[in-house]
Amino acid sequence: MKWLVDFFKGTWLKHPLHPIIVHVPMAMWPGALIFDLLSQWQIGGNAMVRLSFYAIVFGLVASLLAVPTGVLDWSGIKREKPAWKIGLYHMTLNLVVALLFAVNFGLRLQTYRQASKVDSTPFLLSIIGTGLLITSAYLGGMMTYQYGISVARMSKKKWRKVAEAGGANVPPE
Amino acid sequence: MLKDFLEGKPLRHPIHPMLVHFPIGLFVLSLLLDLASLAFANAPSLVRDSFYAMLLGVTTALIAAVPGFVDYTNIRSDHPAKRTATAHMILNLIVVALYGINLGVRSSSLADPRISLLPLVLSLVGIALLSASGYLGGRLVYDDGIGVGRHKRRTPTPETTFHFSTANLPENQESGDIVFVPVPAAERLGDNETLRVEIDGQVLAIAKIDNNFYAFQEFCTHRYGPLSEGSFKDFNVQCPWHNSCFDIRTGKVTQGPAKVDLKTLRVELRDGKICVRFPRQAEKIS
Repeated sequence: MKWLVDFFKGTWLKHPLHPIIVHVPMAMWPGALIFDLLSQWQIGGNAMVRLSFYAIVFGLVASLLAVPTGVLDWSGIKREKPAWKIGLYHMTLNLVVALLFAVNFGLRLQTYRQASKVDSTPFLLSIIGTGLLITSAYLGGMMTYQYGISVARMSKKKWRKVAEAGGANVPPE
Repeated sequence: MLKDFLEGKPLRHPIHPMLVHFPIGLFVLSLLLDLASLAFANAPSLVRDSFYAMLLGVTTALIAAVPGFVDYTNIRSDHPAKRTATAHMILNLIVVALYGINLGVRSSSLADPRISLLPLVLSLVGIALLSASGYLGGRLVYDDGIGVGRHKRRTPTPETTFHFSTANLPENQESGDIVFVPVPAAERLGDNETLRVEIDGQVLAIAKIDNNFYAFQEFCTHRYGPLSEGSFKDFNVQCPWHNSCFDIRTGKVTQGPAKVDLKTLRVELRDGKICVRFPRQAEKIS
């Protein structure tokens, strides 16, 4: 199992995996909303309806990998840290968003091949889903840029050497 | 003001890493649609879909380039990550240019049921370069902490490191090994601004707080984040990476995760010059 944990954490890549994977749903679902909007404005016709559908599907597939990688990164945070709670909100929101887009996908399945315009219910789901996703992604970004989660996790040996060479006090190994 | 905005200070989050999700995702989507057009020859409009995804990708890439460039200029010129950042930027420019050409090549055959060879190859090359570049961008954040915690710092961060050697300085008559190293750049510091200096290999941050100067080790004792890029509250410096705080007068930890205190040095006025009081043998610094 350890190889799977290492895989999900991105140790093999020397880069956490979750923030790489999330580019896909993070671009696809707001992208789907843009394509929905264009179809509402009668730009692109069925091409936009299909494009939106494909974007939702691609986002859902990627989110299957985003979940285990994210949960593992989160499980490494100590419970008393502020980032733990933010991570919990981030995770909960993401699950809601993924569910919304799964329903959205189901609603489009029958019509996306012919329709020249996206129906109002799936369109509304795209709006709500994208709104929640942006909120959630912001929280995820906060974990990195405000609390430094995963920052210098894999490079700490390199930086320790730099600090030692620079004459700094360092903690015992 | 505009620079603050592009640095993401009002959002308390750098903007470039937010925006790059869009070109990365959309370029990958357009490649998948290209491949789908080959796999499902009777599905209409996949070539057109791919074109639109790519067009939105190029648009968002150009938008992302602006805050990206601002982030790039904020990296200290002698930072080891500066080269990574340069490679990241050049690769991205090549990728956008390739996709610009790609759009031009495919724009005349949007009604085709299958994507033709040249634009497909351009997409494959584009994704390969984009993956490499995106990876470098991620390493900049997760290895080198570029952009991490920068929004907490109100003043500009040091642009370079000033190097000094004590070899040619006269020894202090009263106290043997102690030398006073003049740091002329400190005269131009504003309040809550910092310098990054290196004296005989010892890397220090010098901060001006409340019209006084304080010198302390550059590297946080947790994961060695750059304290010269930290933020200041009263006499505390906060590491930009994981928010450890230290009293810069004593070096004592005032907030974890760091557990080990900083080395500190005194900054004194000597003959009208701002000098670091520097023991020649580094191990004597306490």
